[in-house]
Amino acid sequence: MRARVIDRADVLKIVDFLRRDRYQVVAPFFGRGRDTVFDVVTDANRDSVQLHLPNPYYPPKRYVLPQIHRLLTARRTILTTRRTGGGQLRIDVPEDEPRLAIFGIRSCDLAAIGHLDRFFLGREYRDTYYERLRRNLFFVNVVCTDTELDIDDDCFCVCADTGPAARELFDLQLMHLGGEYMIVAGSPAGEAVLSHPACRQATPAHVARRREILSEVRKRFKDVTSWYSMASRLISLGEVGEKTWEEIGNRCLECGGCSYVCPTCTCFTVTDRSTADGVTERIRLWDSCALTGFTRMAGGHNPRKAVHDRRNRRFFRKLSHYFVQRELSVACVGCGRCVEVCHGDVGMPSVVEIIRRAAAARNETR
Amino acid sequence: MAHILTTCTFCGVGCGIYLEEDGFRITGGYPSMSHPANQGRICVRGWNVHEVASSPDRLKQPLIRDGGGFREASWDEATSFVAARLKHIRSEHGPDAIGFINSPRCSNEEGFLLQKLARAVVGTNNVDHGMGAYRSASIEVLMEMLGVPAATNSIADIEQSDVIVVNGVDLALQLPTIGGRVIRAKMGGAKLIVIDPRRHRIAEHADFFLQTRPGTDRLLYGAMAKVIVDRGLADLKFLKSRCQNYEAFLASVHAYDALWVADACDIPPGLLESAAIAFASGQRGMIMYATGAEARGADTIRSMVDLALLTGNVGRKGTGVMPLAEHNNLQGTCDVGVQPQLLPGYASVNDEAARRHFESLWGAPISTRPGLTTRGMIEAAFDGSIRALWIDRHDPATAYARASIVAALDRLDFMVVQHLFMTETAQRADVILPVVAFGEERATFTSTERRIQLAEKVIDPPPGPLPAWDQIVRVANRLGARWSYTSSSQVMDEIRRAVPFYEGASYDNLSREYGRQWPCTADRPLGTALLFADEAPSEPFRLAPFPMPEMAGSCMIAEYPFALIVGRSLYYWHHNVLVQHSETLKREHRVLQLDYPEGFVDINPEDARELGVRDSGKVRITTLNGSAVSTARVTGSVKRGTIFIPFFLHEVIGQLFGEPDSSGGSSDWPICARVERV
Repeated sequence: MRARVIDRADVLKIVDFLRRDRYQVVAPFFGRGRDTVFDVVTDANRDSVQLHLPNPYYPPKRYVLPQIHRLLTARRTILTTRRTGGGQLRIDVPEDEPRLAIFGIRSCDLAAIGHLDRFFLGREYRDTYYERLRRNLFFVNVVCTDTELDIDDDCFCVCADTGPAARELFDLQLMHLGGEYMIVAGSPAGEAVLSHPACRQATPAHVARRREILSEVRKRFKDVTSWYSMASRLISLGEVGEKTWEEIGNRCLECGGCSYVCPTCTCFTVTDRSTADGVTERIRLWDSCALTGFTRMAGGHNPRKAVHDRRNRRFFRKLSHYFVQRELSVACVGCGRCVEVCHGDVGMPSVVEIIRRAAAARNETR
Repeated sequence: MAHILTTCTFCGVGCGIYLEEDGFRITGGYPSMSHPANQGRICVRGWNVHEVASSPDRLKQPLIRDGGGFREASWDEATSFVAARLKHIRSEHGPDAIGFINSPRCSNEEGFLLQKLARAVVGTNNVDHGMGAYRSASIEVLMEMLGVPAATNSIADIEQSDVIVVNGVDLALQLPTIGGRVIRAKMGGAKLIVIDPRRHRIAEHADFFLQTRPGTDRLLYGAMAKVIVDRGLADLKFLKSRCQNYEAFLASVHAYDALWVADACDIPPGLLESAAIAFASGQRGMIMYATGAEARGADTIRSMVDLALLTGNVGRKGTGVMPLAEHNNLQGTCDVGVQPQLLPGYASVNDEAARRHFESLWGAPISTRPGLTTRGMIEAAFDGSIRALWIDRHDPATAYARASIVAALDRLDFMVVQHLFMTETAQRADVILPVVAFGEERATFTSTERRIQLAEKVIDPPPGPLPAWDQIVRVANRLGARWSYTSSSQVMDEIRRAVPFYEGASYDNLSREYGRQWPCTADRPLGTALLFADEAPSEPFRLAPFPMPEMAGSCMIAEYPFALIVGRSLYYWHHNVLVQHSETLKREHRVLQLDYPEGFVDINPEDARELGVRDSGKVRITTLNGSAVSTARVTGSVKRGTIFIPFFLHEVIGQLFGEPDSSGGSSDWPICARVERV
């Protein structure tokens, strides 16, 4: 791995380089208030691209798993008549998606893409719809170093071991060292960018500075913890009592938001709907285990009918040994979005805390 | 791709959401972290609201009845046909033979122009929104006691409160964004008092859960006031400086007997007492109640406002009286005058000075003849005195699910329906005017916290449909009006002249930050988050003395021993017009229908045992007005003697209640019922 440095004023030249290289580039921008957003870079907004800002709430997972994804369309080319019956169907599957570069993706969200990859592509069945979107992506990771802007009180990537600096999956990684940024390539496509004239060779002093900043940044997380290991053990062993799940369930208002904003949540539903005369489209859209219909079976049986059973399901899926073993990590990257989205404050850190406290209380009474 | 901040139009909370579009259609939506109402949270409906615009079932062209079906028509033909028919009916039968009904989902601009069409062009006060029966009680009481017909506080204040009363509303299902605020306030240390015949999600969090017998809340509040006065916890300084009528009120409170009331309400007297003490001992107390299907009647609302005034809980942060609107623009629809007896800004039609003001603003006389309510118009349609109805986005044929309503609509000479979809009512129309969907027009809505907000145009509508306000303008002009609005913002400019507390609400002002809470005037351009905060109101607050009733309003008839209450479920929403067009919401709604094709009725385990009813078994419910078969759900969420029916299967409700609207402007007087095993 060869490290380069680039002046702060030149960083956005990477965006320009990628755009010239036939990438559509999305990057983070400030919106209203404290809202931030990943949006397409155009000539008009290029100068407003932000390197340091609160991580956009609407997760970049939508570039590989859109909220509504059209999988195919079917249209009748010869109309059915009562006499002849039949007719003909033409089915169109969308072409490969264009090259897309995500500039400024955070380490947590990048780790989440790795999680989605393992889910959609990592086993015997490869999801072609996911793959079609995924294979043309180029990631420019920005390390969270600004303790005011990049990191807030809901972040816990250090507990999930996904940040503040990603170790893999990026094509390029940028890290702020003061007046300049260190650039590291993580793929051949990324290497190609390092030949840009604005990039200079990094010195050992730069590397030392990087290490120093990272250990400094980690201190920002000292009050924020999610002690997965204990919660994971209790959940895996079935040692979380019904009462505890009920407490969690009573605080769930079944909005589905935690699944929608979670960068690692993979669940979707597929449905067909007619759009215009004779055209039917097959779409898949985000789904959530918070909703009753999610686990209801055709015959009417619903193994997760009560809301606390559905919450049990979510955290079992995220933390149990069974899944951790299969996917090599807990299904949580510590981005903190579920903390913000939850009406009843039963995002990941709170639930881990509730489970730990309940276990501690039980041990005391024993 | 672009992300545009707009306002969710599902319910009255008015959450800020972003919509993402790809140039052709809306591809996603998510909550704003910064919007003061929701701060990053929305409910499942908000997460899926964007799907409505892309629904394939939308109406695309104006339709004119042609024999048994409809034929497509141009806008010119359709609007001139409507104008000609209205003109004819007016000349034959007079202006009061025509009525106008809109839905509390319509925008302010649309509602304002509809009532202006009725009053200034057609010449009738027959204009009402479809939820008239529900909302009026709350508006009347708040006008009479506080002088302002709206919430005195803001949604963001909930977490500032240290004691909250939630009366008769299942917040977790109906208004989850507010429910979440209440739960978080409770986790932050606030005391939570839930008064409800049903143990719902929010009740699980209550410090004091008063599971009353239906119809006894009014008594309960009277007894709570008595406890507060007896313990010396009343805020006498507030009463003396800001309220009138307090001596009479205090005298009426003395007649209450807390023990007797606790017995009538079927709650432990100690619980009643400690809840009253908790409420009065808090520094910042808030009372919230619903104005929709589970609404309380005028007397119960009076007694809640009394309690807030008695404890000085108006005008400070974290305090207040908060009526909760289920419909996204119930507040705004009333503000802009879609009520038969009230002009825009709540001036009475009988107030001559107000009428003069509007006559000079509109250049047309305003009728002094009283107008009919929605219910009155439908009854008049049945008896033939109403000959034509204009219905904007409302669907009375489905909403009330009574054969008599369909029969009334079928007797009309002429009916115009403006809607997105071919509803039950639209199928009976003579002309259907297709409107544009959420995200396809720029318009304002006023939320339950008085926040006037813009819903933005995110994509272009498909060819064909027009904004509803534009349709009203076209017809008005064909009826001889000379309206020159070319944009919805020009309509708002007129609303600003008509409704004093909207004076500062120009589109330019509203598009900054997150809308403005009224009063938003020239000297208060930023709006008002908290009413009565800095200055004493011009009129003192008026307490409503409340003599203790002779008997409790519960079911006393031996043959009908159960008190039946009706409520909503999350996916049942305004007769499913929107729910039906989102894949996720449709599925969740269908789960209920599949699991309970005949609806369900919640019944207490002990009652069930006595009646020999098992969970999922069939039961017959009989009321004085009718009878229906449904499925029993045996659950501790209702107490003995109470049964609960969700409002999602209107056929069942229709069979039970028979006559229009007895399903309840209020649950003050519960419906008496009998339950038998089938």
